[in-house]
Amino acid sequence: MVKLTPREQAMLSGQDGPMKQRALENVVQYAEILGAESLCPVSRATVFCGRHSYLEAAGNLKYHEMFSRVQLGSDELLPPAEIERQCLAQTCVSPCETFEYQAFQQSHSVFVENREYLDEARKMGVVEVGTCAPYLNGWLPLPGEHFVTTESGMTILGNSLWAARCNSDGIEAAFWSALCGRTPRWGRHLTEGRRANIRVAVDFVPETMIEWDLLGRALGLRLPLHSQPAVTMDSSGADFNRLRQFLTALAVSSNCEICHIVGLTPEAPSLAAAFQGEDPAAYPEIRLSRADLAETYDAACDPGRGPVDLVSLGCPHYDIYQLQDVARLLDGRRIAPGVTLQVWTTLAVKALADYNGFTAAIEKAGGSLYTASCPVTIKSDYLASFRGAVFDSLKQITSARLNLRGAAYYATAAQAVDAACSGEWKEANRWKA
Amino acid sequence: MESLEIQGRPAIAGRAEGVALVCPESLTGWGGIDPATGEIKDLASGNRGQSIAGKILVIPGSRGSNGWSCYYSITRVSGAAPRALVVTRVDSSSAVAAVGLKVPAVVDFPADADPCRLIQNGDYVIVDGDTGRVTIRRGE
Repeated sequence: MVKLTPREQAMLSGQDGPMKQRALENVVQYAEILGAESLCPVSRATVFCGRHSYLEAAGNLKYHEMFSRVQLGSDELLPPAEIERQCLAQTCVSPCETFEYQAFQQSHSVFVENREYLDEARKMGVVEVGTCAPYLNGWLPLPGEHFVTTESGMTILGNSLWAARCNSDGIEAAFWSALCGRTPRWGRHLTEGRRANIRVAVDFVPETMIEWDLLGRALGLRLPLHSQPAVTMDSSGADFNRLRQFLTALAVSSNCEICHIVGLTPEAPSLAAAFQGEDPAAYPEIRLSRADLAETYDAACDPGRGPVDLVSLGCPHYDIYQLQDVARLLDGRRIAPGVTLQVWTTLAVKALADYNGFTAAIEKAGGSLYTASCPVTIKSDYLASFRGAVFDSLKQITSARLNLRGAAYYATAAQAVDAACSGEWKEANRWKA
Repeated sequence: MESLEIQGRPAIAGRAEGVALVCPESLTGWGGIDPATGEIKDLASGNRGQSIAGKILVIPGSRGSNGWSCYYSITRVSGAAPRALVVTRVDSSSAVAAVGLKVPAVVDFPADADPCRLIQNGDYVIVDGDTGRVTIRRGE
């Protein structure tokens, strides 16, 4: 039985209207399934508001009908309510770029329908930001702050790096929580739910972005479900972008929601601290070497050489310095005819890139800087039209493979830019241990 | 015909029975299934090409993206929902999917009664979401 506060009981009785009532009913049932004893207040939410491709399975529904039936599980059309004022809500990625649609082989009607969905979300109090990397715009939870998000990378980053508190939940549950301002006090929202339960020893020093990305996926594929690793390693090669690449790759290849790195992340000043007083030796250990990274790379990147007609960078969305790097890599060069080079970021970071001349440098070379989406979030048949695609993200390439018909290559940003300029993937590009 | 009963924790009330589809490695989030038909698209799944629609879906928990539960919840509207959900150890994403699916669900089995080990594809399974009892019939 979930214990509710008087405020929660009032909302559950319908005092705040049927939509918030329904949202809280769902949160309470969710809490009961988990075995949670109470709810905790949520002060931040990222929510998935666009007309995403998976929603087509429900038929051609207008926003509010879709929201009631699909997101809230109600067969009745519920009058719209506002997001709880205490909860800072913003949109996650969208199935459409902010301004462009023809470049992605989308129809005007798809773009307009998505726009209508986002406009309705705005009316509910959601700020339209459109990113998988909300921290780039200052959406940063404090240690101990309870938040919900539709982005796996944000869940694990917030838990691991900032000691904030979040479960993976799901797209529907993020809406429920944003509407009622509550989530089950369970799992990563509890101190004991953050305790490490497996040791990981890394016997090399990852230094480049691709090595951190590979390490994340190599670890994720080896973790039993429900693992919360405490990693012992030389993390001197870490920086924020490498860590977010590592943690994102880890999250999407497992169901890991928190990863302690001993001596680096705040809840693991020592191995013992990560296990909260329990004996680490009582828990299993996984060892990872560079050979494991090579195996992960070979599984991600198609063999041989081949033509390239799509290069996509920016998963998770690039920050301003990564855009500066791309601008430098493209200096004095031209994208090969027939090749599409896309670089993805947030609207706010793009404004900075415009101001600093990075957007102009990318466009001068024949590339484009886009916002709010990415190839795998755009409707699935888009990717099927390319013969050879290059990505610099394991998250992106793994999801893209579900819809690609051509070859897929995994590269550093520099190799990806080379491929965009030559129109060709070379065997010599392959990462080697 | 063999028959075996295992006991988990009741999650969503109701009783359902049907043919089991067992995914011992779970299914990946964001695109792991086609939400219109229930067909499994996950490239790493041994059940790729089969459909969860009308089955007793047996999984160890969720795997991959936060965009996991939404692919199951929407099958309630699309008509491709499983008849029941059996989860070895519930986690936040599989719990949200259970709320969204609204089909009988049983979760959290003891270590010696892991439904992903004891149930096989094609077994006839009865799920009692009121008591948490799962009955497995083989060779029926």
